[in-house]
Amino acid sequence: MSESIQQSDLVLSPTSFKPLVKEDSEQGISRPSLSYWQDAWRRLKENTRAIVSLYIILGLLAFTVLGPQIWGASGATSDVDQISKAPFANRAATIVEPFEPWDQSKVTASNNGLQLDGDPTTQAVRLVWEPMAASTNGYRIYRNIYPTGPERALGLPLGEVFPSQGTYFEDRLDLSPTYYYYTVVALGDKSRETQEFQSHEFDVTRVITADEAVEKNLIESSSDVAVGDEVMLAWHPLGTDYLGRDMLARLMEGAQVSLFIGIVAPLIYVLIGILYGSTAGFIGGPLDQGMMRFADFVVALPFLLFMIVFKIAFGVESGESGVLPMLIAMVVLLWPATARLVRGQILQIREEGYIDASRLLGAKSSYLIGRHMIPNTMGVILVTLTFAVPSAIFTEAFLSFIGMGVAPPTPSWGSMCNEGLKTMNSTPHELIFPAVLISVTVLAFNMLGDGLRDALDARMRSRE
Amino acid sequence: MWIYAGRRVIQGIITVWFIATATFVAMHSVPGDPLLSDKAMTAEIRANLAAKYGLDKPVFPDQYMTYIGNMLQGDFGISFTQQNREVNDIIREHFPVSAALGILAVLFAALGGILWGALTALYRNKLPDIIIMFLVILGISVPSFVFAALGQLGLVGLNSWAGQTVLPVAGWGTVSHMLVPALVLGLSTMAFLTRLMRSSMLEIVNSDFVRTAKAKGLPPTRIFLKHQLRNAVLPVITVLGPAIAAITTGGFVVELVFAIPGLGRYFVEAVQQSDYTVIMGTTVFYGAFLVFMVILVDLVYGLIDPRVSVE
Amino acid sequence: MNSSADTTDPILKVSDLRVEFDTYGGIVQAVRGVNFEVSEGETLAIVGESGCGKSVTVQSLMGLIPMPPGRITSGSAQYRGQEILGRTRINGRELRGSEIGMIFQDPMTSLNPTMTIGDQIAETLQVHRGFSKRDAAARAVELLSLTRIPEAEQRAQQYPFEFSGGMLQRAMIATAIACEPSVLIADEPTTALDVTIQAQILDLLNDLQRDNNMAIILITHDLGVVARMADNVAVMYAGEMVEQGTAHDIFYRAAHPYTLGLRAAMPSNVDETAQSLQPIEGSPPDLFAPPPGCGYCARCPHAVEVCATKPPPRFSLEAKHNVKCWQHHQDAPSPPTELFLSSTTQAGDTAAP
Repeated sequence: MSESIQQSDLVLSPTSFKPLVKEDSEQGISRPSLSYWQDAWRRLKENTRAIVSLYIILGLLAFTVLGPQIWGASGATSDVDQISKAPFANRAATIVEPFEPWDQSKVTASNNGLQLDGDPTTQAVRLVWEPMAASTNGYRIYRNIYPTGPERALGLPLGEVFPSQGTYFEDRLDLSPTYYYYTVVALGDKSRETQEFQSHEFDVTRVITADEAVEKNLIESSSDVAVGDEVMLAWHPLGTDYLGRDMLARLMEGAQVSLFIGIVAPLIYVLIGILYGSTAGFIGGPLDQGMMRFADFVVALPFLLFMIVFKIAFGVESGESGVLPMLIAMVVLLWPATARLVRGQILQIREEGYIDASRLLGAKSSYLIGRHMIPNTMGVILVTLTFAVPSAIFTEAFLSFIGMGVAPPTPSWGSMCNEGLKTMNSTPHELIFPAVLISVTVLAFNMLGDGLRDALDARMRSRE
Repeated sequence: MWIYAGRRVIQGIITVWFIATATFVAMHSVPGDPLLSDKAMTAEIRANLAAKYGLDKPVFPDQYMTYIGNMLQGDFGISFTQQNREVNDIIREHFPVSAALGILAVLFAALGGILWGALTALYRNKLPDIIIMFLVILGISVPSFVFAALGQLGLVGLNSWAGQTVLPVAGWGTVSHMLVPALVLGLSTMAFLTRLMRSSMLEIVNSDFVRTAKAKGLPPTRIFLKHQLRNAVLPVITVLGPAIAAITTGGFVVELVFAIPGLGRYFVEAVQQSDYTVIMGTTVFYGAFLVFMVILVDLVYGLIDPRVSVE
Repeated sequence: MNSSADTTDPILKVSDLRVEFDTYGGIVQAVRGVNFEVSEGETLAIVGESGCGKSVTVQSLMGLIPMPPGRITSGSAQYRGQEILGRTRINGRELRGSEIGMIFQDPMTSLNPTMTIGDQIAETLQVHRGFSKRDAAARAVELLSLTRIPEAEQRAQQYPFEFSGGMLQRAMIATAIACEPSVLIADEPTTALDVTIQAQILDLLNDLQRDNNMAIILITHDLGVVARMADNVAVMYAGEMVEQGTAHDIFYRAAHPYTLGLRAAMPSNVDETAQSLQPIEGSPPDLFAPPPGCGYCARCPHAVEVCATKPPPRFSLEAKHNVKCWQHHQDAPSPPTELFLSSTTQAGDTAAP
């Protein structure tokens, strides 16, 4: 073991060998001691994802509780002027004279295929066309929202015009402000369609009469506007659904249902589970065995099937939302998991050395429960609760989606997804918004649960 | 091992009895008499049912005993809404469809979960881990019907891009009908299993016996296959029972969206039509199926983990 | 105890090894410049309290330190004259399991729970020695009987959970010596076992060493184990080797206050010296920020001012005996009498254990 000793290292000052005076014999614990919950909270605060999730959850609660106060619209009223409108759709409407019947005697006949009389508006589209040679039996008029193309998918048949009625047609059928592709086909013998047709596309503009505008609260009185002015229709920040209902308002109302079930159901069944499990755990013996055997049976029930069976058993009268039956079914089926967990924890803690130590020091049962049992099970219960919320929200969404959940007029995120799925291709926003809300909520609760579990896990504490 | 298996099977039978009883009680607490109030039922069916179930007799014990007795003989009753159709026929016809879809989905989920989980653990905190774990979080947070809708949308897009039918958008019949629905069905379970596999694998990677294997100078592939993978897969196998249950019931949505004639879709239809015998029969059948799948998984686990088999 | 000839070349020679870990709280300097060597047939015991860096030292030689967060910042380790630090093969031969075997503290968790004991032993033979499956299995049974496991044939078919702790440690030893390594590292091999089993395991190690002429590096915090096994001893404290010497030096001529402290904390059954155990007050320094001077300074009863400011150099007392303590400096005015000092004190003058 040859190690060269540097001479310079060994040159020492005269005071080097004075006995060292130790300033403080206490080596001192540099870190302040923290209680279990303080430490867990500190740990949670360091977990960015969990804290972001916590803010998201608070935001969702604000959206649910305060949202409807701020955004006054009701999710039940239909805005018939704006059906299945995406967010930021054009909602300008031009004020026009009230509707007047079409005086066809003043119309000049067309000499250039399919033409319009007047502007194409949502009030009426008035078509005029050239007489066709093949028409022995009048004409049939079609309207399509897509270009007709070579395969002649002409779209919606609007009606037929008899030879006596000339070459005029007025379309007032549910007009939207969009492009329409009109086709007029000449009808031959026995009203069969011939090869002769005329077609044209028109950009229909949205119009509204002054009286209608007053009725819809868009303006104060009809004297405020003149014909030709523009007014804005009601604003729907997230668009409307297939019945013209405001998406934002419905999402808020749906949140009330989804979060109510998602939070209240777990709270109730976790509470029942705690009472059941701790009773079984404390008492022990044959009663414990019997109680846990029963819990085992309830666990074995196929959950979603029985949710449905219970839903049927409770029966939903018309006019009921079906929220309560779902809540009860969930509580009835889901309490055993928590009961097992709590019982296991209590049995485990009872065996711990510190319980014996505490008992030897003369602690009473009430002290043991309050000081050791509850604090040591609270963490696990809190984590269970956090993870129970997303699964309850999922269950509600799943049942509502297959039509076994919340009854129709009441919105929930799941039932909104179900409705939105049908029109997924044309108006995806009706599916996207509720689906995103479900996903974000579930994600936030899952991440918070992860964070809590890491923060409360005693094993992790020692690993650091 | 055999004693253990026998005990589990007996437990399973008792559990199925409990399920049957719970179903019976639930269905007989339906407000109003379902048999009398149902308008869609023909007089003929009603007469058949009344004869079969002794509806003139009290619910308990007579009707209950008849119900349990029939079930013991494997007879789930006859349909309310379809004349002369037995619930057994319905199950026989539609369950194989659901089972085929379910098996494929479980395979997707289990193999995918194990593969991705092992991969993320090996590349911990590196790019593959971050990407896969992000997808996993999406997988457990997005409801299954959204995946189903996206899957169908994807198929439509794929077919229109290819200009021909690469994979059918809906329906049933061939393997190509099954692929995307099974993938969609297995997706959230795959995400869940990936997470489980990852944490299990991370624990194993840092375990003492893997350190021993390294100290023995074994090549990394051997350590991975013989020491890490085999031990890390064990917890994944224990949750396969519940995973199969989740996939089976998740099948309802996928069967609805992709128009697959499985038992799940039939069940949902039966509920909408208040076909009570079909509901009861299917519920008990599904319940029994799930109970015995869980038992089967536990027994298979016993074969794989030496620590269990000796008990 | 085997006494080895002083002239043999060391089979393993480690110099100035430094290992760091990046952790949540900062960089831990777990090993701070360690030197030692071990020759064939010789047992070196590395002694020290928990967390002093004993295990990290040997694990870094075996490439078992997870990197990251671990990092070997400097040093060299030569096996038969070849550098092995940072690599696991020399001349195309796997070092681990083949040239250097290792056994661990907790046999309960150190064996694969889902693989039979026989397979776990046979595995190394198949991988390193190219044994066929059948030959390896037969040899595994032989090795189990060699490590005195009764009914080795049946035992080889069993799984770790069917073994007791002592049996498992024997199986671990069988695994480690399967390829007849030149060096066996035993990381607290008896800590998890009860005392009677401990003695059997130590005897087994002694016998195997005699038969195979292995070098053993024995890590322990138990001076009783050291007395029973070691030829040479290195005392580790706070990532450094504060004193090295023969077992006799350490027990009878301790030159470092920490070695003395360790000895005072060890129970003794010799009547005239029997006294109440003297714990070493305080705890080891924080290795996130090691003190500038001697690591033991804060707990040392003999600390002087220089101890707090300058790390002590290594003072050689005899050929194999050296110490890192300022009290051995030539200018030290009145060294405490209980310390062995090469120039002033003679063997046996210090307090006997």
